[in-house]
Amino acid sequence: MHTDLNEKLIAGRLRAADEKQHEAPYDWADFQRRRHRSSLTKVIERHRPVAIAAAVLATVLVTAAPYLRPAHVHTPALAPSGPIARNDVSDRQERARTRAIEGWLARLPHDRAIVRVGTHAAVSGLQDQIAALDDLMSTERAAGAQPARLDALEQQRAQLVSSLAQLQYAELLASATP
Amino acid sequence: MSRLVDIPIPEDLIARARAGDEAAQAGIYRALAPAVFGLIRRLVGNRAVAEDLFQDTMMALFQRLGDFRGDAPLGAWLRQIAVTRCLMYLRSPWHRARLQWESDEASLHSAVLPVMSATSPDALDVERALASLTPMGRAVVWLFEVEGYSHEEIARLFGRSVSFSKSQLARALARLRQGLAPQEDQEACTPI
Repeated sequence: MHTDLNEKLIAGRLRAADEKQHEAPYDWADFQRRRHRSSLTKVIERHRPVAIAAAVLATVLVTAAPYLRPAHVHTPALAPSGPIARNDVSDRQERARTRAIEGWLARLPHDRAIVRVGTHAAVSGLQDQIAALDDLMSTERAAGAQPARLDALEQQRAQLVSSLAQLQYAELLASATP
Repeated sequence: MSRLVDIPIPEDLIARARAGDEAAQAGIYRALAPAVFGLIRRLVGNRAVAEDLFQDTMMALFQRLGDFRGDAPLGAWLRQIAVTRCLMYLRSPWHRARLQWESDEASLHSAVLPVMSATSPDALDVERALASLTPMGRAVVWLFEVEGYSHEEIARLFGRSVSFSKSQLARALARLRQGLAPQEDQEACTPI
């Protein structure tokens, strides 16, 4: 036996199924929570380009900071060769601060889960500059360079380490943000 | 449970909700949410997607309540918002990619799952038959047979021709007819 169901009968069964099956996915309170969260997400999304632009600008400024300083600071060879009026105490403090920053940097994980290519390149660049400066300072010391020149090199190294720390810290914050 | 267009919402409740009265908004939500979700679920199938579209639709309701002129029932106005969002989703490349993935999965498991849990054998048959349709076919048959849309309206909503709507409906009905035919006429579909 073959019973063909006509269109009206099918429509009737569909409507009957519709009558029985309605359900609300969640209540008003839950809807409100999702609504507020969604509004917040939209605000964040709206400002995301500005935040990204600011982060990029900050990265560029931090990376370029050593090059933007006056030439006599950037180029150790041009540092004054006369008696230095620097205080020994502040010098020691400066070195201690640099060592502390380096210690903090050494404790950071080497293999990060997320690598942002732009920041990664900047970090590598700063690390290369610090390494090159370390080599230069060792050579200068071995060659009996004047204390003023070593001082200028030390100062520049401190600036680079500080820039590196700022960059790594910014990246740490960015990677911790969901 | 009434269809969305048939649910009466008092005008004063709408006016208070429009003025920002949260209790009135909650009242409207409680009255319309089940039917809205039911409709969306029917049109898109997947529950997670339906929840997203439902949230989006209900948010649009309260954001755009000021535009509601009261020429038609609030449910009809909201239904239009929900249907538009669902069809936008069904036409999206993301949905097409998901369909491809699901068809691969289905070929592995060869099971057609109903959209909603059925409470009787008859309802289960309807659910299975609906689940066997393509998303477009299901949307067209539901809009035409249950929601009362005309072929012209469906064609406009889909951005297609009237004959598209008619052919989708004919194919969907043929498939439903097959799926809803009495058991003795069908081949055994339960693996032994």
